Amino acid sequence: MDGEEKTYAGCEGPDDMYVKLISSGGHEFIVKREYALTSGTIKATLSGPSQFAENKTNEVNFISKVCMCFTCKVRYTNSSTKIPEFPIAPKIALELLMAANFLDC
Amino acid sequence: MASFPPRVNEKEIVRSRTIGELLAPAAPFDKKCGRENWTVAFAPDGSYFAWSQGHRTVKLVPWSQCLKNFLLHGTKNVANSNSLRLSRQNSDGQKNNPCEHTIDCGDIVWSLAFGSSVPEKQSRCVNIEWHRFRFGQDQLLLATGLSNGRIKIWDVYTGKLLLNLVDHTEVIRDLTFAPDGSLILVSASRDKTLRVWDLKDDGNMMKILRGHQNWVYSCAFSPDSSMLCSVGASKAVFLWNMDKYTMIRKLEGHHHDVVACDFSPDGALLATASYDTRVYIWDPHSGGILMEFGHLFPPPTPIFAGGANDRWVRSVSFSHDGLHIASLADDKMVRFWRIDEDCPVQVAPLSNGLCCAFSTDGSVLAAGTHDGSVYFWATPRQVASLQHLCRMSIRRVMPTQEVQKLPIPSKVLEFLLYRI
Repeated sequence: MDGEEKTYAGCEGPDDMYVKLISSGGHEFIVKREYALTSGTIKATLSGPSQFAENKTNEVNFISKVCMCFTCKVRYTNSSTKIPEFPIAPKIALELLMAANFLDC
Repeated sequence: MASFPPRVNEKEIVRSRTIGELLAPAAPFDKKCGRENWTVAFAPDGSYFAWSQGHRTVKLVPWSQCLKNFLLHGTKNVANSNSLRLSRQNSDGQKNNPCEHTIDCGDIVWSLAFGSSVPEKQSRCVNIEWHRFRFGQDQLLLATGLSNGRIKIWDVYTGKLLLNLVDHTEVIRDLTFAPDGSLILVSASRDKTLRVWDLKDDGNMMKILRGHQNWVYSCAFSPDSSMLCSVGASKAVFLWNMDKYTMIRKLEGHHHDVVACDFSPDGALLATASYDTRVYIWDPHSGGILMEFGHLFPPPTPIFAGGANDRWVRSVSFSHDGLHIASLADDKMVRFWRIDEDCPVQVAPLSNGLCCAFSTDGSVLAAGTHDGSVYFWATPRQVASLQHLCRMSIRRVMPTQEVQKLPIPSKVLEFLLYRI
């Protein structure tokens, strides 16, 4: 079970619309700031005194699923269109639960 | 006697949005009984909706057309039963052209269930041994349980009678199919037994489940088809193992007849409704009570709860998202609850409600009443948290005992066991 680290970096400025989530595997995910704020943890980190906070953790994995979750939530909250199924394979569900628990989302 | 806890201001609770109504046609002669709509049901794939319209008829409507009608013609839609008696408008009622059917069952209909040969997701393997139904296409059946103890099985697409199952001696109060597509049917009857029928084997009766001391009111399969819950008079809640057909345990806690039960979509929770004014949420694997939803405040003492308290809860249903349940009580209200809050999130007025069911996609709740009509409301929808989605995905495949062995922090463990 490899642990991954995640760093948060604002894209070119504190008020910018996008944030970049980087996993230790080197994958960079650029998502809208508003979407990333779905996670209470990221929200607290981003609004803290230092915008370039580094946050090392061994529990954050599967960041692409997390980003998909952010998008789903923002798109379908307060919308009357049918909410589509969000499939999660049982194999990754436990680790994803730990990640979601950490990120509070 | 209040309907909500004292800290709640009743006027602040959101009222649900009505979607539509299907009113029973006026009867040619006014009978005191026989009009009741004891049961409503949605097909597992969401294609059809059925309800017992009273006076021995069952009405089957294609659900998407019905929804469209509600949107086009406003909320009132009187169902006309005269024009479509067992009609087959499109050649042999193919699956692509669903049409309406009105079925005369010959006796008062007390229970309905849809059965599909297509397994719902997350189920075990099915052995495919066809005898009578070798059409090579998906079978959708409707089982109707009658007052005289007979069960009639109808083909939903054509409206034809396929099988007549005769063994029970009293009213068939509830029917349920196994969700794994095996077409195993369980019937619950006032003759204190449940019977298990194999419809793929020409309706052969496989087993009789004995254990109830009194009327059996309702039964429900767990989503993985391994467990059956049956509830009945004299506070009975039983769990059965459906591989060996033995009783697993009795769940103790209610003070009066238990009349409805439903599993959550991941099989980790069981909801039961009772005449003691309460709905309980149990962990079916360990037998403990996780939540209690009251309909009468202050909560009645056991003696009062065990008698005529004017606040009987008649029906309970779990939503498809595993987060909400709906309950019907005699205080003329439908309540929508979140499983983690002890106060309803929405209510809707309903007089003489007898049964309720969520639609397959969870967006609509249907409730049947004493006069044979059905009312529909939009359910409270919200995007589930990622944590809850993971929890459901894990609990579909893991019972409580296995979850307790997982090497995870205790807070996450409590969350997975629905104990938060």
